[in-house]
Amino acid sequence: MTRGALAAFLARTDMPVTAEVVIVGGGIGGLAIARELLAQGMRDLVIVERGYPGSGATGRNVARIRAMQLTEALTHVARACQDKYDRMGDELDFNVLFYRLGYAWVLYEAEELERMRDIVAMHHRIGVRSALLSPDDTLRRLPVLRGGDPVVGAVLNDDAIVHHDAVVWAHLEHLARRPVRLLAGTTVRAIEVGDHGVEAVETDRGRIETRTVVNAAGGWSGELNSLARVVAPNRPLRREVLVTAPLRRSIDAAITFYRPTEGWFNQTLRGEVVMGVVDPDEPNGIDQSSSAAFLRRTASLVTRKAPALADATVIRQWAGMYDVSPDHLPLVGPTRQLDGWWQANGWSGRGMLLAPYLAELLATRMTTGASPSRLEMFDPDRFDPAAKAAGHEQDYYARYAAR
Amino acid sequence: MERARVSFTFDGRRVEGVDGEPVAVSLLAAGRRTLSRSFRFHRPRGLMCSTGQCGWCECEVDGRPSVRTCRLPVREGMVVRGEHAWPSVERDLLRVLDLGSRFVPPTFYHHRFLRPRALRKWYLDVIRWFGGRGRLGDGSSVGRVARRVLQDAPDVLVVGGGAGGLSAAIAAAEGGARVLVVEAEAAPARAGGAGGAGGAGDGDGELLALARAALGVEVRFGTVATGWYGAMVTAVDGETIWEIRPRAIVAAMGTYELVPAVPGSDRPGVIGARLAGRLLTEHRVLPGERAVLVGDGVELTAVGAALREAGAAVAGPIPTTALQEVGGRGAVAWVKYIGDDGAARRESADIVVFGDRTPNLDLVLAAGGRVGWVDARLAAQTDPDGRTSVSGLFVVGDTASRGPEAAAEAGRRAGRAAAEFARLASGAQEQIDRGRPSAEAATRATRTGDPARSPTDGQPPKHGSPHAVLCFCEDVRGWEIQAERTAGYQDPELVKRRTGALTGPCQGKYCLSAVTCAFNDGNVATPSTGDVLLPTGRPPLRPLRLGDLVVEDPA
Repeated sequence: MTRGALAAFLARTDMPVTAEVVIVGGGIGGLAIARELLAQGMRDLVIVERGYPGSGATGRNVARIRAMQLTEALTHVARACQDKYDRMGDELDFNVLFYRLGYAWVLYEAEELERMRDIVAMHHRIGVRSALLSPDDTLRRLPVLRGGDPVVGAVLNDDAIVHHDAVVWAHLEHLARRPVRLLAGTTVRAIEVGDHGVEAVETDRGRIETRTVVNAAGGWSGELNSLARVVAPNRPLRREVLVTAPLRRSIDAAITFYRPTEGWFNQTLRGEVVMGVVDPDEPNGIDQSSSAAFLRRTASLVTRKAPALADATVIRQWAGMYDVSPDHLPLVGPTRQLDGWWQANGWSGRGMLLAPYLAELLATRMTTGASPSRLEMFDPDRFDPAAKAAGHEQDYYARYAAR
Repeated sequence: MERARVSFTFDGRRVEGVDGEPVAVSLLAAGRRTLSRSFRFHRPRGLMCSTGQCGWCECEVDGRPSVRTCRLPVREGMVVRGEHAWPSVERDLLRVLDLGSRFVPPTFYHHRFLRPRALRKWYLDVIRWFGGRGRLGDGSSVGRVARRVLQDAPDVLVVGGGAGGLSAAIAAAEGGARVLVVEAEAAPARAGGAGGAGGAGDGDGELLALARAALGVEVRFGTVATGWYGAMVTAVDGETIWEIRPRAIVAAMGTYELVPAVPGSDRPGVIGARLAGRLLTEHRVLPGERAVLVGDGVELTAVGAALREAGAAVAGPIPTTALQEVGGRGAVAWVKYIGDDGAARRESADIVVFGDRTPNLDLVLAAGGRVGWVDARLAAQTDPDGRTSVSGLFVVGDTASRGPEAAAEAGRRAGRAAAEFARLASGAQEQIDRGRPSAEAATRATRTGDPARSPTDGQPPKHGSPHAVLCFCEDVRGWEIQAERTAGYQDPELVKRRTGALTGPCQGKYCLSAVTCAFNDGNVATPSTGDVLLPTGRPPLRPLRLGDLVVEDPA
């Protein structure tokens, strides 16, 4: 592309007076929605981003793009999401480093095996080629686990990772040549609402008249909803990550374990190992600070599972926000509470995976009015108003696997 | 007393060393100058800093990956291997990558390796093969010993046990505070670089004796400060992870080598003056026969004399700004510089010894404190008492270059101020900033300086040639940072992500100054205040082995 177009797109600071759609949030959600709305012929879009593009959870996650999920409904959607990423390089003419690294749930408790047999059968019905491995096969395929806590098996398939930053840059280069404006470093202060719904977005740099707002603010979606007096049950939840100095290729799958405590690790294409062990008592609330306890917890538990990793050196840690909904599924679509207010949030830790594909469905819904059937399960109004926000008190894995 | 000779292997060949000296010193003494290869372009790297911070000396040792050999005592029978090279670090055939490096910016893959589609996975398999560094062992030799976690809550925590830190501790203790000093070096004589306890700044250990015996200051050697987490500082020693919640903190953490930003300055044979001095006095190793001195500083002057005395031919010192290029095939062979008469000169040399150092900002940046240019160095913005923009955090600044008296004076002022702050904190009138609550905003540094707070001249150094490697871990050159800015990526966080600058195993310690210059050159400064921007600092303060963070009950 012409570099001047991108520079102009990224540096633009003049405020528009009106916009067809204002998308709040310049992460993967907001960028993908802008892309899809443009593809469906809309013009005159504005993305409002408080920091820099991708500065929230999009720049802080580890971008595992997995079709293998715990429930049938989500596995169907996730497969479509993975396909969307597989096509992204061609569609955006940008290599987002979609790479089938492999993905494994490693099991440590016998009762998990029974549950996983059913889930693998479900995967096979849908066409996801997961396999349940014996303990011996698990250690053969994942030698990094040798000498660690005894495994009872693993579920393995060929799921992918991408480079999260490359996904952002690919979208930026794509959007730079199109009728959309990115307002980085801009904070929404108020939402003006009239008799017929949304009327304007008030930012710290000026007011934009619009009839349509998409809330793609991730962990901050609750704050934005409250500006519009829209009620949604999602809550922000901190998740932490650490990364080691690069090592030669030694782990051939992205590993997740749920028992006794949820944790995960995998190698990037450069060889760094990213990892994290979840704090089951993490309180809800926006907090992007790193903790010393996280380093100890992760080092202690990951090196029990994979003793060889004791020799890896951590060089950086950071934190990002999940936006967690009561059923751990996102809110994607219009809300009956306010005309012109669209939700694209509550990703519950799966925004990177789900957003590009669901943005396509959302854009169809916004431009044609017809609701794709796949979008029904993400209806923002599906919750009982009294529904409690999900968070630390609910075991993510247990509530899924139990269905 | 003669110490025993030991023999070990490096890349399969036998090397002799003196028992107990660092592995990297034995290798240098044996003429093995190339110890590692850089990540992207397989550029040769050798011993440069000797403090375990730059990472240029990382080798595999007895099956353990990426061990910094400048601090590892050599033992009989050790098996040392170069990493990230084939067949050996000396003859690494992958060095051909460096020949084409100008065509491979960090963004080179963005529009490549997509077609033909059938090869897409294979391309990335190849890229993955080129990545990585150390080989992970099978876990059988790995130490994983659970450590205990202990809490401490002194009135004043002093990080750094050199002359400045000990003086601060003494002044704070005299002010009535309970003081804890943590010092990374295990041996008092090595604390504080040039001017530590028992070193030049505390010749006969007077400061240390006074602090410990007369004033009851607790001084813990071999205890490394590893992080700033809100108002808590973590530290580790051989068996303990400390969580320290002081009422006030004095950071007296010394300086890092400031590598000249010219092409070739990352070659083996370009070494810091402090290392050169240690090689001569502690290890009796002459690092080279023909030395060119660059820059200034008291250590450089002393080293120049010591090198001459040891029989080396010494040229210079030449000003850092006059240095143009360091050349050779692999290690240093010649130096190009502008002479006093303005004419370009070429001097043959086998080592370049540079004296420039730059303040250690690890804790200040982690806490979100303001930094700015002072005498062309990136330094904490402080008042004369060392008070930073972070309430409760005091800094004893770059004192090494000003001599032990200046260090002691700066330390005393900061110590007194910290004790006073701690006294108010005990009455709940003050408390340490938790730092940036969201870690969202980039650290702001003031280009122009704030005369009320600091006698800053506000001028950054010239960052040298665009063809110089600025970030050594990721081989990021000046022009690559400029290219990102031209392309439109102005935010330092985005430039960091696009180029990888500051993200390598040295955690930005050795490129922060040069990269910050490149980030902020021209229009990166935010228009309203003239501030310059740095990416957010991330913990830990030093690379930590995962096995050293293991605790019995992690919950």
